[in-house]
Amino acid sequence: MSIQVETGKRGLTDPAMAKVIADAVPAQPLDTQNKMNYFVKPRGRRLTEYEILCCYAQPTPDWIPGGLDWGDWTQKFHGGRPSWGNETTELHTTDWHKHRDPALRWHALYVKDKAEEWRYTDRFLKAYSADGQVRSIDPKWRDEVLNDYLGAFCFSEYGLFNSHSSASRDCLGDTLRMSISMIGLDKVDNAQMIQLERTFLAKLVPGFPESTDEPKKEWTQGAIYKSARETVEDIWQATYDWNEILWSGHMVYDALFGQFVRREFFLRLSSYFGDNLTPFFINQMQLYYSQTKGITGDIFFHCLADDAEFGDYNKRLLRAWTDKWLPRTVDSLKDFMGIFSKIPEIKGVTSKDAVEAALERVFDDWKRDCADPVSYKVDTAALVKTVLTGLK
Amino acid sequence: MAISTATKAATDALAANRAPVSVNAQEVHRWLQSFTWDFEKNRTKYPTKYKMANDTKEQFKLIAKEYARMESVKDERQFGSLQDVLARVDAAKRVHPKWNETMKVVSNFLEVGEYNAIAATGMLWDSATAPEQKNGYLAQTLDEIRHTNQCGYVNYYFSKNGQDPAGHNDARRTRTIGPLWKGMKRVFSDGFISGDAVECSINLQLVGEACFTNPLIVAVTEWAAANGDEITPTVFLSIETDELRHMANGYQTVVSIANDEAASKYLNTDLNNAFWTQQKYFTPVLGMAFEYGSHFKVEPWVKTWNRWVYEDWGGIWIGRLGKYGVQSPASLRDAKKDAYWAHHDLFLIAYALWPTGFFRLTLPTAEEAEWFEFNYPGWHEHYGKIYEEWRARGCEDPNSGFIPLMWFIENNHPIYIDRVSQVPFCPSLCKGASTLRVHELNGKKHSFSDDWGERMWLTEPERYECQNIFEQYEGRELSDVIAELHGVRSDGKTLIAQPHTDKDGKLWTLDDIKKLNCVFADPLKSL
Repeated sequence: MSIQVETGKRGLTDPAMAKVIADAVPAQPLDTQNKMNYFVKPRGRRLTEYEILCCYAQPTPDWIPGGLDWGDWTQKFHGGRPSWGNETTELHTTDWHKHRDPALRWHALYVKDKAEEWRYTDRFLKAYSADGQVRSIDPKWRDEVLNDYLGAFCFSEYGLFNSHSSASRDCLGDTLRMSISMIGLDKVDNAQMIQLERTFLAKLVPGFPESTDEPKKEWTQGAIYKSARETVEDIWQATYDWNEILWSGHMVYDALFGQFVRREFFLRLSSYFGDNLTPFFINQMQLYYSQTKGITGDIFFHCLADDAEFGDYNKRLLRAWTDKWLPRTVDSLKDFMGIFSKIPEIKGVTSKDAVEAALERVFDDWKRDCADPVSYKVDTAALVKTVLTGLK
Repeated sequence: MAISTATKAATDALAANRAPVSVNAQEVHRWLQSFTWDFEKNRTKYPTKYKMANDTKEQFKLIAKEYARMESVKDERQFGSLQDVLARVDAAKRVHPKWNETMKVVSNFLEVGEYNAIAATGMLWDSATAPEQKNGYLAQTLDEIRHTNQCGYVNYYFSKNGQDPAGHNDARRTRTIGPLWKGMKRVFSDGFISGDAVECSINLQLVGEACFTNPLIVAVTEWAAANGDEITPTVFLSIETDELRHMANGYQTVVSIANDEAASKYLNTDLNNAFWTQQKYFTPVLGMAFEYGSHFKVEPWVKTWNRWVYEDWGGIWIGRLGKYGVQSPASLRDAKKDAYWAHHDLFLIAYALWPTGFFRLTLPTAEEAEWFEFNYPGWHEHYGKIYEEWRARGCEDPNSGFIPLMWFIENNHPIYIDRVSQVPFCPSLCKGASTLRVHELNGKKHSFSDDWGERMWLTEPERYECQNIFEQYEGRELSDVIAELHGVRSDGKTLIAQPHTDKDGKLWTLDDIKKLNCVFADPLKSL
C-alpha cells in the first residue's frame, strides 16, 4: 500500500496499515531492560514512579554536582552569566539531584489531592451555609478578627508565595524545582482560601466587607503585622540565595510565626468564638504545612546537612542563617501579641498563661523540627519570654 | 454596619433563605489583583529593559484549587486511556518501529523544553508586577511540571510496554552524546531561561509555544496516529490543552509592555532573534523527525511549516499583535527557504553520525525515495544518490566496516557546528541556505552558518561560548565516547543507536565501531 496516507487514517485501526506495521515489528522486544531511569539510585528499595518521571529531567552539566550532561550553556544571560550556576547558593552538596518529596508527588498526584480538597471545600461550604452555622460566630471575632487580621495574614502567605518565584528559577535540581513550585502554589492557595472565607462570609452576613482594603491597610500600616511584613518583604525580594529564601521562609519564619498565627491563634481560638468555619480552612493550610515540612526537611537535613562532604559546612551556614532570621521572626511574634488586646480575654485560652503555653508548643516544635537537626543552640524559654513582652 | 445589626441581618437572611451557598473560583480571583502591596525593595531579581505594567490582567482567571481540579480531570482521561484500553490492546507494540525510534527523541526533547519552561515561567512570575500576570505565569509553571511528567510518561510507557526499550529507558542520560543535543538545549533550555526576562518570554511563549507547538505537539499526533502510535496523541493533545493558556501568557507579556518606550525600540529585534533561534533548530529537526522517522507520511513538512509557521503564526498571530507595534520577523523569509531543504541536509549529517544517537535511524526505502522526489523535486539527484552509495557500501551491516561519516571525510565534506544555534551543517553539501563563515576571538575559532546567528554572536559573543561535540570529543575514539556516555544496551556491548530498524538486521556493537578507528577531529583546527 502507499506510504502517503489520507488525513485521519490510523495505523492502529486501519487493517492494511496495521498489517504493514505488524510485519515490521520484532517478535520480541530488542532489549530486556524495560525500566525507565534504571540507572537512578532509588531512595527506597525500589525505583518509584515519582523517581522515574522526575529524576534527571534537568539537563545539568557535570560541573554542577549530580549532573549527567557535559559542557557549557548554549546561551547565557547578557554579560555571560550562566543559565544555572553553583554560585546561586552558598550551600554545597555532592548531588543537587538527591532530593525526593517524601509524599512522592509528581504533578498528577499533587493536583489530584488539591482537586479533592476543592470539591470537598465546595460541599462543605454548601452544608455549612444550609445549616446556618454562621449564626454562632461571635460578631466581634467575625467582623474584626477574621475580617481584619485573618484578612491581613493573607498578605503574609501571598508574600511567601512570591518568594518561591526566584527559587523555582534558580535552584539546581529537577526534584527540587518541582517541589519548590508546588509548595509555592500551596502558599498562594492559603492566601486565596483566606479571601475565599471572607467572600463566603460576605455572602452570608450582610455588610461583611469582602474588599481587601481593610486587611491590606492592617498589613501595610498596622502595628500587629509590622515586623512580619518587613520580614516577608525581605525574604521575598531582598534575598537572592534560593536556599536562604527557603530556609528563612519555611524553616524559621513560617515554622514559628506562621505556625503560631495559624495553629495557635486562629485554629485554637476560633471554636471559643463559635467559629467552626475558619478551622476548615486553617486545617487545609496545616496539611500543606506538614507536607512542606517533609519536603524542606528532606532538602535541608537529608540532602544538605547530611551530605558526606559538605554536611558540616552546610549546618554551619544554616545556623548562621538562623541567627539572621530568628530575631526578626521573634519580633514578628512580639508584634503579633498585640492582637490579644483586640479580643475578649478567656481565662486559660487567651490569658497570658495560655499564650505562653501556645508559644512554648510552637518553639518546642521548631526546636525539634528545624533547630536540632542543624545543632542550633537555642534557649526557647528566653525567646518565649521576649515574645511575651509584646502582650499588652 | 454595626456588628449587632449585621448579625441580626444574617440571622434574618438565613431565616428567609437557607439555600446552600458556596464560592466559585471567579469570586476569589477577582480580588487577586489587590493581593500585592507597594514596598521599597519590591523589584524583580531578573532585570528587563522593558517595564511590565502593574495592571496587566490574565485571561484564564484560575485560582490554585480550580487549576488543580481542571488538570486532574484531564489527567483522569489521559491516564485512564493509557492504563486501560491502550494497555489492553498492546498499543505500544503496534507502533511502526521507525516511529518508535522517533518518539525516543521527540518525547525526551520536548520534555527538556517543558522542564526548562518551569524555570522560565518562574522567572516571569518574579518579573511581572501585576498579581494577575504573576498568576498566569504561575499556572504555567505548574503546567510545565505536568508536561515534563507527561513527556517522561511517554518514554516510560514505551520502555515498559514497547518493542525496543533501549533509548526510551535512558534518554535522560544518553541524549547528551549526539549532534542534536546541544542545539536542542539552545532552543528548549537556555533560550527560555537565560537573558532579559521579556526576551525569554518571547522565546518561550511568543515563538516556542505560539509558533512551534502547533507543528510539534499537534502535527506530531497526526504522524503518530498514522504510524500506529495512539500513546503520543493521548498525551500530547492533553498537553496542548494547556498550551493555549501559555500562548495567552505570551500575548499578555506583549500587552504588558506595549506602552513602554523600550518596546518600540527593542521588541521587534528581540522577536526576530527569538524566531530565528527557534526556527533554526525546529525547522530542520521536526521535518527530519516526521519525514525520515516515519513509514506512513501525512504531508510534506514544507506544507505543514507553511501552514502553521508562515501563515498561522507569521500572518494571523503576529498580525493580532500588530496594534502593539509587533511586526512579522524579518528572518521569516529566510526561514521559509530553510523549510524546504534544511531537514534533508540535517538527516544526511544525523545519519552519518548515527552511532552517537540514542535511537535507531533508517535510510529511506525505494518507496520513500519516490515520495521525497515527488514532494521535493531534485531530492534524488542530491540526496538519493548519496544514500544509494551508502547502502551499496553496506552502511547498515556491521560487517561492512563502513559508517557514512567516513564518506564525508573521504569526499572532503567537513561538518561544522554553528556556534550560536549549535546545529551541525556541511557547507559543501547542503542544498539549504547555510554557508560557512568563521570568526576568531581570543584565539578560538567559531563557525556560523547564517547571517542572523552570526549577527547575534558579533553583538554578544559572551553569550555563545558553548563547546560543540567536535571540540569536546576531539582526539577521542568514537567507541570510547559511546561507552563512556552509556550508549549501549543492557548486554553492555550492543549499541542503542543502529543504522536500521530491520527486525532481522544485525545489530552493531562497540567492537564493530572500534574496528573503524574513527577519531573525532575539530574541523575548525584545519582552517
